[in-house]
Amino acid sequence: MSEQERKFLEVCGLKKSFGSGDTKQDVLKGLDFTVAKGEFCVLLGPSGSGKSTLLNILGGIDSADEGEIYIDGDKLADMDEKSLTKYRRKHLGYVFQMYNLIPNLNVKENIETGAYLSDKPLDIDELLKILGLYEHRHKLPNQLSGGQQQRVSIGRAIVKNPDILLCDEPTGALDYNTSKEILQLIEEVNHKYGNTIIMVTHNEAIKEMADHVIKLRDGKIRRDTVNTEKKTAAELDW
Amino acid sequence: MDKNISFGKRPKNPLIKRVWKDLWRDRKRYLMIFLMLVVTIGFVSGMYVANNSMLSTLDNNVTKFKREHGHFRLSEKADEATIAGIESGVLADVPAVYKERAYKEAEDEVRKAVDEAVEEEVAKQVKAAITEQTEAIVKGQLAEAEKKGLKYTDDEKQSAIDTAVETAITENYDKAYEEAVKEAKRSEDYTKAFDEAIEKAHEEIDKEIDEKYAELSDRYDLDEKFDAVPVTVYELFYKDVSENADGTDDEKSAVRVYPERRDIDLYDILDGRAPETENEIMIDRMHADNAGIKVGDTLIAGNAEFEVSGLAAFEDYSTLYESNTDTMFDALTFDVAMVTDEGFDRIHSNTRANYAYAYDDAPADEFEEKELSDKFLKALITQVAVSENEDIKIEDFVPAYANQALTFAQNDLGKDKAMGGALLYILTAVLAFIFAVTISATLEKESTVIGTLRASGYTKGELLRYYMSAPLVIVVFAAIVGNVLGYTFFKDTVVGMYFQSYSLPGFTTLWTPEAFIRTTIVPIILMLLINLLVIIRTLRLSPLRFLRHDLKQTKRKKAIRLPKWRFFTRFRTRVLLQNIPNYLMLFVGITFVMLLLSFAVGLPETLSYYQGHMTETMFSKEQVILSRTEDDDGNRITTNAKNAEIFSAASLERKSDVYNEEVTVYGAAENSRYIRLEKDYDEKADADEVYISQAYADKYKVSVGDTIVLSEKYEHKDYTWKVYGIYDYSAGIAVFTTNDRFNEMFDKDEGDFSGFLCNEKIDDINEEYIAKEITEDDMLKIARQLDHSMGAYMGYFQYICIIIAAIILYLLTKLIIEKNERAISMTKVLGYDNKEIASLYLIPTGITVFFSEFLSIYLAYTFMSMYWGVMMMKLSGWFEFTMPFSGFVKEFVLVFAAYLVITVIDFFRIRRIPKVLALKNVE
Repeated sequence: MSEQERKFLEVCGLKKSFGSGDTKQDVLKGLDFTVAKGEFCVLLGPSGSGKSTLLNILGGIDSADEGEIYIDGDKLADMDEKSLTKYRRKHLGYVFQMYNLIPNLNVKENIETGAYLSDKPLDIDELLKILGLYEHRHKLPNQLSGGQQQRVSIGRAIVKNPDILLCDEPTGALDYNTSKEILQLIEEVNHKYGNTIIMVTHNEAIKEMADHVIKLRDGKIRRDTVNTEKKTAAELDW
Repeated sequence: MDKNISFGKRPKNPLIKRVWKDLWRDRKRYLMIFLMLVVTIGFVSGMYVANNSMLSTLDNNVTKFKREHGHFRLSEKADEATIAGIESGVLADVPAVYKERAYKEAEDEVRKAVDEAVEEEVAKQVKAAITEQTEAIVKGQLAEAEKKGLKYTDDEKQSAIDTAVETAITENYDKAYEEAVKEAKRSEDYTKAFDEAIEKAHEEIDKEIDEKYAELSDRYDLDEKFDAVPVTVYELFYKDVSENADGTDDEKSAVRVYPERRDIDLYDILDGRAPETENEIMIDRMHADNAGIKVGDTLIAGNAEFEVSGLAAFEDYSTLYESNTDTMFDALTFDVAMVTDEGFDRIHSNTRANYAYAYDDAPADEFEEKELSDKFLKALITQVAVSENEDIKIEDFVPAYANQALTFAQNDLGKDKAMGGALLYILTAVLAFIFAVTISATLEKESTVIGTLRASGYTKGELLRYYMSAPLVIVVFAAIVGNVLGYTFFKDTVVGMYFQSYSLPGFTTLWTPEAFIRTTIVPIILMLLINLLVIIRTLRLSPLRFLRHDLKQTKRKKAIRLPKWRFFTRFRTRVLLQNIPNYLMLFVGITFVMLLLSFAVGLPETLSYYQGHMTETMFSKEQVILSRTEDDDGNRITTNAKNAEIFSAASLERKSDVYNEEVTVYGAAENSRYIRLEKDYDEKADADEVYISQAYADKYKVSVGDTIVLSEKYEHKDYTWKVYGIYDYSAGIAVFTTNDRFNEMFDKDEGDFSGFLCNEKIDDINEEYIAKEITEDDMLKIARQLDHSMGAYMGYFQYICIIIAAIILYLLTKLIIEKNERAISMTKVLGYDNKEIASLYLIPTGITVFFSEFLSIYLAYTFMSMYWGVMMMKLSGWFEFTMPFSGFVKEFVLVFAAYLVITVIDFFRIRRIPKVLALKNVE
């Protein structure tokens, strides 16, 4: 792995605060880390530790007060809004805790909203099969279970074959079994398509399936570890 | 990474697919908006198309149907020489002709007088000579006889002389007289005497004719020399008779029947055919509609019975003005008809010698037309004056540009266009706002989806285009359908409205770019702009704020604290506070409807108030304006009608860029009982100070002390006056002063006047001296005709307003309920029943509607009054927008009734909201 690939994502001195004066609250207090290309990185931490804020800044939908972020050598701070949108369009996929599907588009069409953003999207039918949604492809979101909806949401994010897949508590609203299914799917996607995955979670168990675990607390990195003996999603238990 | 990844093709933008799905999902809402747009665009488009097509047709018909340049009516048919003279358009030398005629008459009379004098003198002299001679002879003979001894008494002598003289006269007088007369007439004395008498007669004639002509010349400016205005004169004779048709109302109408028209003022047959036999008649289509006469019906014109063979629009009667001096046209009781020449003879009534004329060189514009008509009138006056038939007189002269029957409809078409356009824009703006509010609600509802899409890389432009699509698709489709309907159904509707007021010909529908721009481009731009503003404003927010559902532009820091009311009251108050933007929109919508209703309810009310009030403020029941104030014998025309008094009137213009308003200047008799100016006005006021009517003051916002400038219509002469006072007169735009001041102002002789004012009927003035008679009934003609033309529509318009109100209320209350769906669902889960929930969510809306109505009624009335003022600025006369209390109540009740219907729908809508909604993440 080249140096460039090893430092596919590089975060230096990242700081972020909300409010001002007496109500000012420092959310990120100077973070430094790197994520390698194709790595499955988990940002772990309790509520309010700043992990979602970090993910949003990485995703270019929020900005840092200080510090720099380089993605594949490009400095994020140099980008204006238009470039940021383009950056997200070309390089990022987003999965949220809430699936945020378009209610009156069916499964396939929802995935197409992601495919449309890429000049070279994945084959949707094949993806639907991988997602286990092929037979549900004509259903509307409200005809699906929560897990199925989250699969659609992953499909929508992955279909454009992004360099980085950002997942914000993707299993937060799901039960144990469904959560495991979703994690397995993400794992499969990571293997099959080789995307760099950054997943925010407060579920300690998930760290075991990650290549790289960054643990946050009070806006600081408490631990930055590389998992040498990671488990598969199926092996996880909590 | 798996090396066997298969890639697919980039799909088409799925959001485009979603547009259609969105439209289908909200089909009820969109259908309502679509229908409202289609109807409005269709109607306004129809209006423009009908207007443009009709006006173009009327323009083309000027040549096609050979429209006159004017007409004049003579007291009797003119001889060929007179017509030729008129056609020459040359100013006849009236004094010369009059003098020549008078000289000729005078010569005969003088010669007769001189001859009589000579003959008398000669007779006297011849008699004397014969008597003298005979006496001398008889006396000689008697003396001879006496010498011979015969004796005669004196009586015998005298008797012998008398007998001899008598015999001599009997035997010799005639011959002697004849010879003597001949001799006398040959004498120089005779010639001298005759010449002297002729010269004296000529002098007298010259003096008299010059005096009379100077007067005429003064009145008509006949001194001015000008190039000839050659015209072609056409006989357009008619008979004015009563009309009665089968199955019509008892009220009889008047019909003006013309013989067949061939060369001028032709006609467009709209039904049936032109008359072919002497028993057939073709009448005006408009009147036929009003009177319910159809082709095939029997119609009695005067004494003759006819069968109606056709219905037509006559080129010179697009508006049925019986007389050009009528205040308003009357298609209800006045008709125009054409029969064959033989049919014309069947009607026993006076033939009115009406002639139409057309200039040989048609004028290029109205200004030139006025100039030509002024010149032609002079030529006409002089040519008629020099006609062989000395009794012939001009009874009427109406140039085309001043002929209301020709111009009124054309001028009137199009006035309503501006109003229709304004209505369309207001409605489009309201609908665009409803759209914008709907979209705003959708943006809020789909906030996290938008956030996700933006986070995934969708640009603002892509989302903007997507959210703009639905309103655009709706407005574009509505414009297309509206325009199609505009060119078909609505054009016919509008034309139908025109046809209900005017006698218009058939027309060809024309492609009207203005209609396209105003009903398609402008609404699309309007819809685009308003929605663009709302959507851009929201889409400016960061993806994160969308993801966090945080779309409020201004953050409320704290929840408003409510007093310790009952729980339900507080709950409702919260609903109210939470939905303020929607309620504001509801208020705007209600105000818009009230604006329309204000017109629909207010117009009939205003008209009826005007009808009632106008007769009240008329200063006398009858106004007679004379064409001349002295009769043929030079005596001042008077009337014996009780309390009749003289007055003067002149017509001036208040010129402005918008509209030149005709202003009547009245001169009131001293201590007039009809025009009651202040008693000390004459003493106190300066020479240039006048009263103006209340209507004048109201319309042009003129107060006491202000200066007004009025002008002569076709002359460059201005009158500048100061306002001394406001006279309480609302029936017209007028200026008042005393008759003496009036005469001074207009350079008239002392004691001059124009006519009489009276509360009794004035019927003792010869009709030929009356120029215009204005009665109460004439003043009401305007209101009556307006009522007939527009009154019926106002009823329909009120219903349309209620439908619009219901649709707007439906759309907005739907939004409010949709916005609160989850909360409503949750209250259901908590155990509230439907009635309680309805009372929580519907009562705040009811309260809003209730109070909005009060405020919007006031706003609409204020706006309407202002708009009315602006509208009246372009019309002659003035009456204020009036709304009685009952009108306000009607407006309120109608809108509230519409709301109540919608409330029932809303109640069922609330009932249908499932409980599971609150518990389920539907996204």
